[in-house]
Amino acid sequence: MKSIRAALARVAGFFAGKRSNADLGAELQSHQEMETAELVRRGMEPDAARREALLRSGVLSQAAEAVRDQRGLPWLDGLMADIRYALRGLRHSPLFTITVVLTLALGIGANTAIYGVVSAVLLRPLPFPESDRLVRVYDDLAGGGAKDVGMSVPEWTDLRRAGIFERLAVVFPVSAALGGGDRIERIELLVTSPDYFELLGTRAALGRSYGAHDDTPGFGAGVVISDGLWKRQFGSDPAVIGRTVRLDEDPYTIIGVMPPGFRHPGNTVNGDVEIWASCGFLADPFPNTPIRGARVLPGALARLAPGLSATQAQAKLDAFAATQQRNFPADFPAAQRWALRLESAQESITGKVRPTLVILLAAVGFVLLLVCVNLAGVMMARSSARGAEFALRQALGATPGRLARQVLTESSLLALIGGVVALVVLGLARAPLLSLMPADIPRTTEIGADWRLVLVALAGSVVTGLLVGLIPAIQTSRFEPHEQLKEGGRSGTASVRQNRARAVLVVAQVALSVVLLAAAGLQMRSFAAVLNQNPGIEPEGLVMAQVWVPRPNNPANNPYIKAEARSTLVQGLLDHLGRLPDVQAAALGSSIDVPFLNSVTRAFPFSLPDQPAGQDSNRAAQFGTVSPTFFQTLGTPLRQGRVFSDHDDLGAPLVAVVNEAFVRTFSPSQDVIGHRLRVGAATDFQVVGVVADVHTGGLDQPAPPHIYVPILQRPSVAIAIFVRTRQSARQMQATITSLVHTVDPELPVFGVKTMDELMSQSMARRRFSLYLIAAFGVAALCLAVLGIYGVMSLVVTQRRPEFAVRLALGARPSDILKLAFGPGIRLAGIGTAIGLVLAIAVASSMAALVYGVSARDPLTFITVAVILPAGAAVACLVPATRAMRVPLIEVLKR
Amino acid sequence: MATKLEVQQGTLALMILKTFDVLGPLHGYGIGRRIEETSRNRLTLNYGTLYPALLKLEQEGLITAKWSQSENNRRAKFYSLTAAGRKQLAREARDWHRTADLIAAFLGPRGEVS
Repeated sequence: MKSIRAALARVAGFFAGKRSNADLGAELQSHQEMETAELVRRGMEPDAARREALLRSGVLSQAAEAVRDQRGLPWLDGLMADIRYALRGLRHSPLFTITVVLTLALGIGANTAIYGVVSAVLLRPLPFPESDRLVRVYDDLAGGGAKDVGMSVPEWTDLRRAGIFERLAVVFPVSAALGGGDRIERIELLVTSPDYFELLGTRAALGRSYGAHDDTPGFGAGVVISDGLWKRQFGSDPAVIGRTVRLDEDPYTIIGVMPPGFRHPGNTVNGDVEIWASCGFLADPFPNTPIRGARVLPGALARLAPGLSATQAQAKLDAFAATQQRNFPADFPAAQRWALRLESAQESITGKVRPTLVILLAAVGFVLLLVCVNLAGVMMARSSARGAEFALRQALGATPGRLARQVLTESSLLALIGGVVALVVLGLARAPLLSLMPADIPRTTEIGADWRLVLVALAGSVVTGLLVGLIPAIQTSRFEPHEQLKEGGRSGTASVRQNRARAVLVVAQVALSVVLLAAAGLQMRSFAAVLNQNPGIEPEGLVMAQVWVPRPNNPANNPYIKAEARSTLVQGLLDHLGRLPDVQAAALGSSIDVPFLNSVTRAFPFSLPDQPAGQDSNRAAQFGTVSPTFFQTLGTPLRQGRVFSDHDDLGAPLVAVVNEAFVRTFSPSQDVIGHRLRVGAATDFQVVGVVADVHTGGLDQPAPPHIYVPILQRPSVAIAIFVRTRQSARQMQATITSLVHTVDPELPVFGVKTMDELMSQSMARRRFSLYLIAAFGVAALCLAVLGIYGVMSLVVTQRRPEFAVRLALGARPSDILKLAFGPGIRLAGIGTAIGLVLAIAVASSMAALVYGVSARDPLTFITVAVILPAGAAVACLVPATRAMRVPLIEVLKR
Repeated sequence: MATKLEVQQGTLALMILKTFDVLGPLHGYGIGRRIEETSRNRLTLNYGTLYPALLKLEQEGLITAKWSQSENNRRAKFYSLTAAGRKQLAREARDWHRTADLIAAFLGPRGEVS
């Protein structure tokens, strides 16, 4: 209580300033007068009395100082004085100030930008109430090594009642043909259980969203649209509520529009969800009597029951799975080792990009550290240039701590200015910077400057400033003023301690830049490895387009419900494609077969009855459906057997072609050709060929086991058209669209791209991190070389008299060169050695970004071990050659 | 000749409070003189010690200050004890007596130490 009151009084005192100074002066004055009067009364001469009074009570100004310290906040007074002083000093050396501020702004800005991304993408909870309870539920078949195989409807309904989840909603991302506009358009549809929005806890911005009470066996009549679709397709018309739209030929009513920021927290087919539809999954197009073993649902989103931790929930899930396997052994064969797995919704969205972002954050942190070390060297040089000034101040009564504080104030002030500059630039350049981000980083719309980021950046700036000033401040506080004054302000040989501190700074800079350069080198080598790897296709001149064949819920409305009808459609497309001018080859496939598209696909289970017993069941692979010319068109080499022909149609025996990854995984020791491949209960395909691996998941993703079946035998609804042509993608778009529409005008064509574009897209994240880390590496190299240069020229300047004398006494210029050159190179060598050790340790934690080369890639490390000392040598050479030409007379004259 | 003593940390505030308690409102000069007298000139107080201590007590609300005329018609700043100051004095005096008794018990009769 008392101390609070005193503290408040001090704060008030700090602001009272001049007025109370006058008051104090008057009080001390009256004290002195009374003392003098008293002495006079005792018989002293007035003058003598005045002197005596002064002697007794001490120097007035010192007393005033002591009272001022008690009255206000002396440290704040001191800080203000330091800041004023530092500003004055900085104004007097604008070049120094601008250089340092810009360097700091770069370091702090890069860190703020990357931290802003990390905090928005990885750290900030998903924008839903209690989002930590949102999880994805995956079904894995550990027996076949298959992950995320989807769940059956009875499994879902049982799981809902298992007491593990407050809500459990099926999420089923699909494409759909949106009709009703001037042309048919493919949109991203999410089919969910009716309680999906209640699970997430989000309401519609306009109208209403569907809810648990809208439960129907089949599709609900009301759909919810995204803000994006509302703006694009409906011109932000509020009267859109109640409007009828056709999705895959079926009529639905729009009942709500979601808010602009709302995004489905999970994977989609291709882009953000545009329409949400509810379904009970118990009526058409789903089997009306659900089958426990049929995994028709791709997955589920859930909210954990209140108070249940993820670990507890996982334990309960394991128990649930065990019970189900006991109760339904036919549907869950033990050999499949069926298991349910939980993953937080946040992790399921951001898990893929987490390693990239974490590594980038670490790299940019290294850059800032390097900036700090570099500027510490610069500040040290500056404070030793101001040695005479510091010595004078110390002689006048400034304590060493006070001088150190002055240095720290100056560096923090510089960093703070740098931070503000960085924030302003980032604020202005937000949009162009965000457009540089690779498209597959999620939640980018949530990235932006909020007050927390600004606060973190400013606090980070101050910490940076303190780091920069730390070593120079220690140096300053250990200053020996007589040394400086004795020299008459001329810079003599620096003390051993000062030189040792400089050496440590140089070594640290070199080591840090070695780490960054090694990281950049590994990135470059990985990138080259990815590019050099055989993509399994010949990408030049290959254009791809996708076609969505609508699937109305009522089978009666579906013209392609029968395989024959789909076969006719496929045949029609193939006929037209074959007649296109300027086209060397054309083929059909399914969206799963598109290289580098990384379209979300689930592995489908199959068995190999011809393999030795015990290994006969429970495998899973990607299933593609392709036309006979597919492999020839894409340029995928045949390794064994044959590819499909026009004769592999509905009337012929079922056949399949597999890729090399399939052979490696499932039949490494046995020729797979001629074996049967069983899908479901009794559908057998005979393997007739093996083709090279195509990297469907992206160039840097290993090719998964892939099974191709003839499109004429198993016509797909997600058709991909491949055309090898000299025309551009844009020209082909019109050609392909009109071609498809001559066959059926109700089929939307979308996603027309060249293979080069797809390849480049699949490399976007890797390229992004490569560019950034390479930029960091180059910046690091420049900083280190400049740092060495700065220190070495200082050392040479200090030793000029010595060199001159040596020259005069007969030393050869080459001896001097050695003397001036040696220490710098030695420091660079030590730094490189330390840096290499550090880099090897760091590289092993970079595994997620290293591809195709070892994390201890010798080429990278040897190159770095050469580049840095070479750079250091150049940096040392300039001051060293200057040292060779010191005329004695010039030194003696001083 | 009596040796001059440094004012011990923490004791000055108590001396000031007690002096106000005994003499009533007083200016800085007066309080300095009074403390020197009471100590039989074994203590000297300079401005740099006295005025910060007065200010601290004022900040803590134990004394208040007001400008007025002194006994020989000089303007001076007079300090006086507040109610909180009186309470604080009672508490500190009690604590001090206890501590002094305790230390005395440890050190034994005078003269033994030196």
